[in-house]
Parts: sequence; C-alpha cells; structure tokens
Amino acid sequence: MAEACQIARKQDLPPPGGYKPIPFKRLPAKQYFSGYAMFAGYAGMTLVSIYLYNLTCKKITKNEIEMRSAKMAIYPMLLAERDREYLKQLRRNRDAEAELMRDVPGWEVGTYYGERVYKLLPPDALVEPIFHEYYAHSSPTEWFKRAYIKLQS
Amino acid sequence: MSISPYFRSPFTDITGGMISHQMLGNCQKQEMRYMDCLEAYGLDRGRVKCGELFDDFHECQTKTKQFKRFVAIRKERERQIAEGKLKGDEKFLSPRVDSF
Repeated sequence: MAEACQIARKQDLPPPGGYKPIPFKRLPAKQYFSGYAMFAGYAGMTLVSIYLYNLTCKKITKNEIEMRSAKMAIYPMLLAERDREYLKQLRRNRDAEAELMRDVPGWEVGTYYGERVYKLLPPDALVEPIFHEYYAHSSPTEWFKRAYIKLQS
Repeated sequence: MSISPYFRSPFTDITGGMISHQMLGNCQKQEMRYMDCLEAYGLDRGRVKCGELFDDFHECQTKTKQFKRFVAIRKERERQIAEGKLKGDEKFLSPRVDSF
C-alpha cells in the first residue's frame, strides 16, 4: 500500500510546547512570626494580662478582708445567742419532763427513777444533756433534721 | 475490771493503752478523781472504796443513765400520744435546729 491509512486516532501526546518543568525544590512552610517575635508576643500578652488581673484581684482581696472581718466581729454574738437559746431550751425541756412524768411512779425530774445521774455532784448542778436527751421531746422530723445537719457538716 | 497487768514490763507496755480523757474531754475531772483514788488505795481496796467515783466516771464515759432517761421519757411520751392524752401542738416540743 503506498498510502498508509491515515486515520485520525486520539493519541496521548505531550501538550504543545512540551511539559512544564517539574518543581522539585523544597517548599518550607510560611513563617508568620519569627522565634523572637513569638517570645516577645508571649511576654507582652503576659504583662498586659497580669496588669488587668491585678486590677480585679485588689478589689476581690478588699472584699474578702471585709467579709472576714465582719464574720469575726459577729461570731461571739452569734455564739452567745446560741448558748442563750440552748439554756432556754433546757428550761423548757425540764418543764416538759415535769409535766410528762407527773404520774409515773418513782420518777423525779432530772434523775432516772430517783437515781441521780452523777452521784457526787450537788443536786442542783447543771448536767449537760446528751443529744438524745436534748431532743427527747421533739418530733422525729426535727430530730432527724438536726442529725442530718451534723452528718453533712 | 483490769487496769494494768500483774507484772509490768516493756513487753506489756508495747500494747499498752495510751488513750485517756486528760487531754481533751468532758470526763477529765471524773477520771482524775478515780485514778487518784485508785492510786491511793490500790486496786483491791479501791474496788470497794472508790465505787462512787467509778460510777461517776463510768457514767461520764458511757452516758448510760442519760440515755436510759431519754428512753424512758420517749416511751412515756409515745404512750401518752397513743392514749390520746397529748394531741395536736402539744404532742412534741422541738428545739430550734441550731441551738444544740
């Protein structure tokens, strides 16, 4: 055959002008800040924030001192009030016991069927009650409430 | 009651009782009186002579009589409530919760 069949076939040829050159050189990452800049920025931000923190810190310290002083000032008064209420309640308890055990044979107020709790104390000495004795006349809910507070604290 | 072993030696001291009411406690006075009495009379005579002191000390330590008082009072109150003698507001007398 003199003429070869010239069929236009699609061939995978290089683009016209040849391939562009392949970039093989290293591309390091872009550095926004240098090392010194980073340290300087860190120091600067720390100093600014220390200043701002101290502004609030002073206010809070003053507040804490005020609260602590106030609590210390009223603490004795609160203790005294609690003791007053305690003694008043002891009196009420004694009266309630006298009222309750009026008809029980052999019972004397403040003793266990006539037998004094502490034999060698004078009969009118104050014998501080235990928790159960203090709450002997109370409703169970109030008693458990107090016991729960003790457990909580 | 046994206070101390018959022959005291370092071997018996190893497991000796080192707790007492003297440092922190409500029973300091009672314990001191009882121990002084025992030291004066010894254990055998002291058992008889210091009986009352021992009872006070024992009561302070275990608070049995005070607890028995509580039991008796409570029982009586509950009996009276069940009987119907106490009703309504008179049933109980509760202290203020922060007063003890």
